[in-house]
Amino acid sequence: MKIRLKSYGSILASRPAGREAALAMKARLRPGPGEKIELDFEGVLSVGPSWLDEVLSALRREYGKDRVVCLPTKNASVTESLRVISSS
Amino acid sequence: MKTQTKSRIFRIIRKRDGTRPIELVKKLRITAQAIHRHLRSLTTSGKIEARGRGPKTRYYVAGAPCLDKALRWCASIRKPAENPGEFLCETRDIFTARLGHIGSLTKAGLKEEELPLVISMAGEIGNNCFDHNLGNWRDVPGCWFETQATAGRLWICIGDRGQGVFRSLARVDPSIPDEQAALVTAFEKILSGRFPENRGNGLKFVRNIIVAGEKRGLACRSGAGLVDYGPLGGDCRVELARDPHHPVGTVTLILWGFK
Repeated sequence: MKIRLKSYGSILASRPAGREAALAMKARLRPGPGEKIELDFEGVLSVGPSWLDEVLSALRREYGKDRVVCLPTKNASVTESLRVISSS
Repeated sequence: MKTQTKSRIFRIIRKRDGTRPIELVKKLRITAQAIHRHLRSLTTSGKIEARGRGPKTRYYVAGAPCLDKALRWCASIRKPAENPGEFLCETRDIFTARLGHIGSLTKAGLKEEELPLVISMAGEIGNNCFDHNLGNWRDVPGCWFETQATAGRLWICIGDRGQGVFRSLARVDPSIPDEQAALVTAFEKILSGRFPENRGNGLKFVRNIIVAGEKRGLACRSGAGLVDYGPLGGDCRVELARDPHHPVGTVTLILWGFK
């Protein structure tokens, strides 16, 4: 199932905002057994690593690391954020 | 003779943070017409630029920022008398809302595809002010957030009157000896000032972006510490070091060339 991140804002920054977004996502998500959760960045202007780290950590704790994936995007702030998160 | 006068005018403008033509007339004791002729010549050659309109017009060195107000605010020992609402973001919500204003700088020449990186970098720096100082501000809560686009250069200045990087990190790692070492740690090592939370990647993200481009630079000053990164980091360092007083909290200057 796909989560359209643009519905959480066009600028996704800060850990508190990321935590709030993750809580809202978990409250609404009803994935089937083994179903992947895809984060869609289409329409998002900018993402910071703090926001993304909070969201990914919360969703992966709940559903497992392999089930939560980020869809490909040309947005450089997303690719840079993912790079720094994966190296930490 | 004319060239000497022009050089003197340029030196005065470079020394001050914005100079009005009337100030040059008084200082150099030559006619207003002559001053305006030299100013036009310097502007045409791209050395200086006018900002403001009518009698409020001031001349600045093209491509250089005006940081006097920001640096004074950050370094004032006493609580600043002036807290201009256009620059001071008292809460994280105000800061986040103003982050979006960077988008308007595409009209000045900032590339659309670079906008996400610039916004996310400024977002990380500004949100750090709140993450590390909430409930611990020295006097004025919030951060100073100012952008200036001049001669193909975008300057972003973000400062706070918080605890500073050293006090924040020394709680987690008492082996950090001083303010300089604390700044290096903040930008180069994964260490969160909010243990036991798993944090500390925001400034590494900023540094990675800055060092990845030729026309980018950053300097950060906290107490007696001062670091710079990126090919234009030295330019940022010079601007931050202009104020002889140390900031009471932290001040960061980002330079992003877009022409």
